[in-house]
Amino acid sequence: MRQLLQRAGHKALHEVGDIAIFAGKVFKTILSTRGNLNPTLGQVASISLRSLSTVAFAGIFVGAILVLQFNVILAKYGAQSFLGGLNTSALVRSVGPLIISFLLAGKIGAYTAAELGTMRVTEQIDAIECLGTNPIQYLIIPRFFGIVISSVILLALGLLISVAGSMVVANYAAGINFLEFASSIPKFISIGTFFGGMFKSITYGTIVALVACHKGYSASGGARGVGKAVTMAAVYTNLYIVIANYLTSEIIQLVETWSKYFHFFSEGGI
Amino acid sequence: MSIQLATPKPSWHDFWHDLLHKLGSPLHDIASTWWGISILLGQTFARLPRPSCWRREEISQAIVSSGIGSLPIVVISTAFAGIVITNEIAWHMDTALHTVAMIPGFTGQFILRELGIAIPALLLVSKVGAATTAEIGSMKVTEQIDALKLLGIDPITYLVFPRFVASMISGACLTLISIAVTLICAVGMAVLRYNFSILEYLNALRHFIGMGDVFCAIVKGTVFGAIIPVIACGYGLQCKGGAEGVGTATTNSVVSATITVILLDFILTYLFTSVL
Repeated sequence: MRQLLQRAGHKALHEVGDIAIFAGKVFKTILSTRGNLNPTLGQVASISLRSLSTVAFAGIFVGAILVLQFNVILAKYGAQSFLGGLNTSALVRSVGPLIISFLLAGKIGAYTAAELGTMRVTEQIDAIECLGTNPIQYLIIPRFFGIVISSVILLALGLLISVAGSMVVANYAAGINFLEFASSIPKFISIGTFFGGMFKSITYGTIVALVACHKGYSASGGARGVGKAVTMAAVYTNLYIVIANYLTSEIIQLVETWSKYFHFFSEGGI
Repeated sequence: MSIQLATPKPSWHDFWHDLLHKLGSPLHDIASTWWGISILLGQTFARLPRPSCWRREEISQAIVSSGIGSLPIVVISTAFAGIVITNEIAWHMDTALHTVAMIPGFTGQFILRELGIAIPALLLVSKVGAATTAEIGSMKVTEQIDALKLLGIDPITYLVFPRFVASMISGACLTLISIAVTLICAVGMAVLRYNFSILEYLNALRHFIGMGDVFCAIVKGTVFGAIIPVIACGYGLQCKGGAEGVGTATTNSVVSATITVILLDFILTYLFTSVL
């Protein structure tokens, strides 16, 4: 048992350290990179367009599930008038960023890991290095920024669709009409909440991008290694995202508590 | 000197043909994949009553690799989820009702109905689903499945059915374990930060949750566990075109399994909330 724990701890530290070193390399390269805008914008466009339908579809149903569950729970307290606010707040604060980054991890993270892993295994990355180009600058940075920026774009669109979907479901399944739903939203949400959601989304996007790029970039051992890299990328991304969820929600709550005293974002809101 | 190739004159007929082809071929791909998956689902279910299909060794190996293999990640993730949900719900209750006395009921119901079920299902999708598709897809691409067929071994009985049964069992067990872990962490957080005592918390919880919720959770976990390997194997068995095809199939299978889990979750939630 002790040996097992030791081995697990060793492996976990190794994993985190590898990713931290990789992140250091990437950030160092960002500082020395100029004029890499076009490939980055291309990545943003392709990633957002490819995952838009998935995010929209998932968003509607996640909103609907939350409405159904909260409706049952709130009905026991006779507090159904809070349904709209609670649902929207849960979506903006944690569920929306979480689900969107899970989908991004499955769709874009796995794709990026497979792409980079195939390049590594077929020695295309070594070829790029031989030609005197920095592969991190050429391959990783457009993908990194592409995933981070498009995660924020997808969050905005997904939240819109998701709130609209939950309004419709609340109207038909819970008997809360659109006006009642919308009128309880400002009780829980101010403009700061959206910044909190964006902050979470950027954090998760960074995690997805770093883990996927790292796993693909350091793949080894033929086609089998690529497959392993893809699976590992999907699993580790989800694990790190759930842990980051805890840390970011603590940070956001701290900031919200402080901003109450200083009257930052709250205009009669919180 | 340059060679001039004769370019054919573009016509409206070609334009419409191209347009319909470009619009229709992805739809055709999706439809044929899902048709294959539904047939696979039917074939797998048809093997349930046949005792000759229950290969104990393969099933127990699959349980070890899919269920016990994903136990650590499920436990860690759901532990953090329990902490976060207590924090969030306490903040909301404090904002709306200016009291935190309702944390136990609200948290317990939400964990038992949704959180403790959805998070392990989504993790199973990315862990078991991706691995299964990659494994079966590379078997398909390297023609090992054709070899199995030639040897007179049914690939569905040999490859799909054990994973299906194992994932069903481990889905139900993982759901129960994750509910327990999430609840324990939620109780711990409420005790440490919001000054509940454990008995007080459990006493408040008792009024809001019952065996019906646990039953619904097990049903949901079993259904998600059943559908994940079938989708993954369906994508794996239909993938074509070398190593690249396996990568594409893996990505597609993870995404469609996630969407299917969310959709099934909605349907089951709707059923349970209208029945119970």
